[in-house]
Formats: sequence, C-alpha cells, structure tokens
Amino acid sequence: MSNSATVSPKTWAGGRSPFNVSYGKLMMWVFLLSDAFTFSSLLVGYGAIRFSYSGSSTPWPDPSAIFNHFPGFHGQYLPLLFVSLMTFILIGSSVTMVLAVEAGHRKSKSEVSKYMILTIIGGAAFLGCQAWEWSQFIHEGGRLDTNNFGITAQGYTHLHEAGKFGNHFEWMAGDRQPGPVPFASLFFIVTGFHGFHVLSGVVINIIIWLNVLYGTYERRGHYEMVEKVGLYWHFVDLVWVFVFTFYYLI
Amino acid sequence: MSNEHHHAAEGEYIPETYIPHPETHGTKTLWKVFFILLFITVIDFAIYFIAPAGLGRNIVFVALGLVKAVLIVGIFMHLNYEAKFLRWMIALPAAVFISYLAWLLLLEGSFVSTY
Repeated sequence: MSNSATVSPKTWAGGRSPFNVSYGKLMMWVFLLSDAFTFSSLLVGYGAIRFSYSGSSTPWPDPSAIFNHFPGFHGQYLPLLFVSLMTFILIGSSVTMVLAVEAGHRKSKSEVSKYMILTIIGGAAFLGCQAWEWSQFIHEGGRLDTNNFGITAQGYTHLHEAGKFGNHFEWMAGDRQPGPVPFASLFFIVTGFHGFHVLSGVVINIIIWLNVLYGTYERRGHYEMVEKVGLYWHFVDLVWVFVFTFYYLI
Repeated sequence: MSNEHHHAAEGEYIPETYIPHPETHGTKTLWKVFFILLFITVIDFAIYFIAPAGLGRNIVFVALGLVKAVLIVGIFMHLNYEAKFLRWMIALPAAVFISYLAWLLLLEGSFVSTY
C-alpha cells in the first residue's frame, strides 16, 4: 500500500473531510467535472460530424477561410487574429480572478474588490467580442438550418493566391457553394453554450463582488465564496482553450 | 448573525462550515503561468501560419492545448495543492472517459461517410 505512508487509516472513518476541502468547494469540483463531460460531448460530437464529411463532395470548410475578420479592418484577410485577442482577454480575466482569490486568502477586502471588478470587465469584454463575431457570421449568412460557407476548389485556389495575412480579400462568384449544415449550427451551439457559461460567470461574479463590498465575507471570516466562483471562472477559460483549439486552429 | 462569528477550533469538524486555513502561495507563480499561457497562444498563432495543415500540426495544437489545460487546472484552479484523493477524483474520470469518448466517436465518424 503506497497510501499508508501519507494517509492515516482514519481518513475514511468519518469526523473529517477525506478531501480536506469544504462541502461547497467539493461540490463545485463535482459540478465542474460533470460540466467537463458536457463540453467534451459537444466537442467530440463536433469532431465526429466533421470527420464524417471527409471525402464528401461538400467538404468541411477551413475555419480560417470563414473567421478572418477583425473590427475596424474591413475586407482584410486576418484569420485567427480576433479569436487570439478573445483568448488573451479570457486568460487576462483568469489571472485577475486568481489574484482576487489570493487577496481573499489575505482577507484584503479592497484588493479582492479591485480584482473582481477587473475580472468582470474582462468577462464583459469577451462577451462583446463574441457578440461581434456572431453578428459578423450571421451577417454573412450563417444560419442554424442552412450554410452557405462551402468553399469550392476554385475558392481555395483563389484563397491561396490572394489570401495572404493582412491582404484585402473578397470572395468572387463561383468561390462559394452550400456547405455542410452542421458547420454553422455547431458553431452556434458550441460557442453559444460556452458564451452562456461566460454570461452566467459574469452575473455570478457581480453577485459575489457585491457581497464583497457589502462585507458578507468579512463578517463570515473567510473569502471562500470567491474561491468557488473562481473555480467556475477558470473552468470557463479552460473550455475556451479547447474551443479555440478544435474550432479555430484545427 | 452571531453564528457567523463562530470559528471552528483547530481540527474541530463542523459540517458545512469547516474551512481549512487558506494558505497563500504569493502571486509570482500566478503571473508566471499567465505569461506562459500567453506565450503558448502566440506559439499557436505562429505555428498556424508556418506549418502546413495536416495531422502533425493538429497533434501539436492538441498537445499545446493540453499543456494550457494542465496549467489552468493545476495552478489557477489550485488542484496541484489539493489533497491526493481530490486530485485523483477529478483528474482520473475526466482523463479516462473523455479520451475514451473521443477515441470511439472519431473512429466512428471516419466510417460514417454518408454525405
């Protein structure tokens, strides 16, 4: 038994938490584990559907050929730039969240409050970016039940010639055809489900921040609620890492 | 309200109010992880334009994604510092079931070429 050296036989005998965390934090972890399964099902389902289009006459479009816009640079071919910015924003709000948790350990109310505000701003900025991304996609014809983002062989040739990073690029007649319907609908479902998590996270962060200001946790003697909402917020960041990888990079 | 002022004595167990004494590890590691995460994202961005599309590049992207995940879960979510049972209770089911699901469905998806 390799356990016997570090774990006393009393670990599971009752009277103390075998996981050495409070009930609420343990349940947050269990919830996040179940949520990880939900998101992995969505992403793996996306992968299975995408794989099923290999060798099809309407192949899965290259995501960078579709998501290549940046606000303020109309018509320029800038694939991956905007989602990278969104990733930066979310990673940034993740570090301010963990700084709020750290300040909570030191029971510094003003610092917790400051970092919670920065986290909420980061989350709101991310949601704004996603709203822009969605409206751009819908404006170009992205729908749940149809998809005009199929790219023909001529379209790819045109893209490889003219689509250099930063160049002006627009589709010509014959470049596009109706493409796989799940391409657009899965984009809405996966990023929408993640975006709804971000929205919930921002709302919960605001509630916790108001409680910090109100002094609820100061009176309670600990800032563990900030830690719990922090776990949720980091999880949202974690999911985005995989959405970014599977939906935009690959 | 007076209940809120009650603090558990060292080692005393009170259900649902038991809080282990939080320890701070400082902010140095946190900023380091932040800059590593940013750096990996920049690397992702660069590889996308340098390397030709294909299986090799995709494997690199997934590997870098997993590195980011380990850093976020381990350091930001503090799992590295938690009790051993908690670490395994979270990490093992996630790793086993998600990789099994991915393996099964991607295999299945490549056979279902009905389009």
